[in-house]
Amino acid sequence: MTRMTPFVAALVLALTLPIAAAEAQTAQQIIAAADKVRNPDAPFRVTNKLAEFVHGALHDTDEIVVYAKVDPATGQFRDLVRYVEPPRDAGKMALLDGTVLWFYDPASKASVRISPQQRLIGQAAIGDVLTVNLAVDYTGTLIGAETIEDSTRKSRECWHLDMKAANDHATYNRVEYWFEKGTYYPIKGKFYSDSGRLLKILYYGKFAPALGGIRPTEAIIIDAVDSALVTRIDFGDYQYQQIPETWFQRDYLPRLRIE
Amino acid sequence: MRPLRLAPLLLTLSAAPALADENQDLNLIPPSVTEPAPPASAAPTPTQDLRQRIYLENALILNDRRGVLVPAPPPPAPDWQQRLFLDARKEWALSDQASVTYSGRLNLQADDVEPTPTHHNIRNDFREGYVSWQPLSSTYLDLGRINLKNGVAAGFNPTDFFKTRTVVEPLSIDPAVLREDRLGTFMLEGQQLVEHGAVTLAYAPKLYDPSRIYTQTSLPSFNPMLDRTNAHDRLLLKGSVDIAEGVNPEFLVYHEGNRTQFGTNITEGVGHSTVLYAEWAGGNRASLVADAFRYGVDTGTLPPSAPAVLPFDPHSYFQNDLTAGLSYTTPNKIVLNLEYQFHQAGFSPQDWRNWFTTGQAHANTPAITETLWYIRSYAVDQQEPINTHAIFARADWQDAFIPDLELTAFIRVDLHDGSSVAQATADYYLSNAWTVGAVAAVDPGGRRTDFGSLPQAASLILKLARYF
Repeated sequence: MTRMTPFVAALVLALTLPIAAAEAQTAQQIIAAADKVRNPDAPFRVTNKLAEFVHGALHDTDEIVVYAKVDPATGQFRDLVRYVEPPRDAGKMALLDGTVLWFYDPASKASVRISPQQRLIGQAAIGDVLTVNLAVDYTGTLIGAETIEDSTRKSRECWHLDMKAANDHATYNRVEYWFEKGTYYPIKGKFYSDSGRLLKILYYGKFAPALGGIRPTEAIIIDAVDSALVTRIDFGDYQYQQIPETWFQRDYLPRLRIE
Repeated sequence: MRPLRLAPLLLTLSAAPALADENQDLNLIPPSVTEPAPPASAAPTPTQDLRQRIYLENALILNDRRGVLVPAPPPPAPDWQQRLFLDARKEWALSDQASVTYSGRLNLQADDVEPTPTHHNIRNDFREGYVSWQPLSSTYLDLGRINLKNGVAAGFNPTDFFKTRTVVEPLSIDPAVLREDRLGTFMLEGQQLVEHGAVTLAYAPKLYDPSRIYTQTSLPSFNPMLDRTNAHDRLLLKGSVDIAEGVNPEFLVYHEGNRTQFGTNITEGVGHSTVLYAEWAGGNRASLVADAFRYGVDTGTLPPSAPAVLPFDPHSYFQNDLTAGLSYTTPNKIVLNLEYQFHQAGFSPQDWRNWFTTGQAHANTPAITETLWYIRSYAVDQQEPINTHAIFARADWQDAFIPDLELTAFIRVDLHDGSSVAQATADYYLSNAWTVGAVAAVDPGGRRTDFGSLPQAASLILKLARYF
């Protein structure tokens, strides 16, 4: 191996330092661009149909309607959820505002504060079914450019990012994402526990026009702890929705109606 | 956007053309998962389902009784009871701003105590029936029988002022079930939502005089039993406000008859897994024993001489109710609640000594034992703890061991004597429509203890439900 001359070393250093500084900014920009793919730019509602599979057999189906609006103070979405299916859960509601999560059951007419880790629906965690601006909750590092296959085995050239929780609101301590170059479509995600254990693998797919953008209409979540469990979420019936600020409090939950 | 262009250019130089390991994850997706979903038209529309919950449930209840120091008055709890009920909650939209809500349960039941058939075999519990109107975008008015629930705790809610006398023959003693299956109060309720807060005012008029405590054999078949919920003029004012991120306390003032109570409740999240909560209410009132005697005499259940059975302090003074606890979600999604409960008006250690000493000394004098048990049935009717200090723990585990099996268990321990009531429930969701389950409850404790002195030692419920 030939030794690097002082001139070459200085040149590499001069080139590398600004690039390293640029990467952090670039990662956040990529995440923000991908957020715009997943999330409409105005308050909206979307219907999520969840199908849970155990060893490949359809085991359970759930359906929820999510209302989402960005909190101007934090830049993060706040979400209201109304359960549609199964019948035993129909009419139940949940509110997520930051880390504050309220669950309302019309049968008991009680609003109960629950923790973000508490399961609300099937195998999916809150962060899986609710609308989240990843750029607000995570700080990303650009790992590199990689070509991976999407859920249909189609090759996609992606940016691979490693993302760490930037605040207490983040559902996971660490996530990895692959966003397609140019389109910023989210293709794949991996979610880790605080101890670094891989918890879930996520594939987005079926990109289609919705509310002025091309958005994923399908998410497949593989439980990495028990890989027999796979959940598919179909996003549909996107609609812009006027959402007053007064909706985002526990006292509004009994009043939420689907028009 | 120079950084956005420069970094990809350099990184592309080191990009791997394909990552075999990453693509291995796709092998974890079974082909059935990516098959086309059923057409949307096959699923019910949201508006059809969201406004109702209707289910039919059959429950077989088996009770195990035991000998007690202080004999309980008749009728005894049945050894077995068969219940079939249709539970319905439905809302009809009258317009964009108005709706009507009904909630009730039609019961068919038989047991080994009451002959069949009689009118006791059928009963309708009219839980709610009210009209809602939204005159302004954030203003709501409700009129009718409404189940107005307050509080954030899991086992005992000091600020849930409208809970008194609302529970009719519960299937389960789980506080979560008791909150669900109870009668509402006829009232006019107004609510104004503002950004980061809400104000609610509710007025419930007196429609009937206070009535006797119902027993299993005295329950009417088709009667809304408004005497249970509207025997006093009642007024509640409550407000909630966001004072910081995640801190949204509720403040309450409640007036009933000649008593005013104040209350507050608050929650705070700690990390992603824990929620702390506290709930307090206080006001001038007499002790539970004094209240029970007064109520029994006023309703003609007890003779005027009954208060002489036990010594008690008849005076009212400021007394407190408090619950403080936490809920914690474990990594495998078990939700645990642990809380301390304080009810200052409950039985003191001296009250317990008096109760057992008097009961044992007059075990063969029904007039006295019935009076003693009346105090305890009054506490149950009021949904008021009889003990002063208690610990409550609850666990809820969805998909326990196998998918769709939900296990729930709770225990309430009287810190005065260590006796407890415990219940475990297993529900298995056969499908989205069918649920099969079992509930087992025990009251362990010595014969001179709170729960150990109850005539019911254990019970088992087998149930099957069909949701529509």
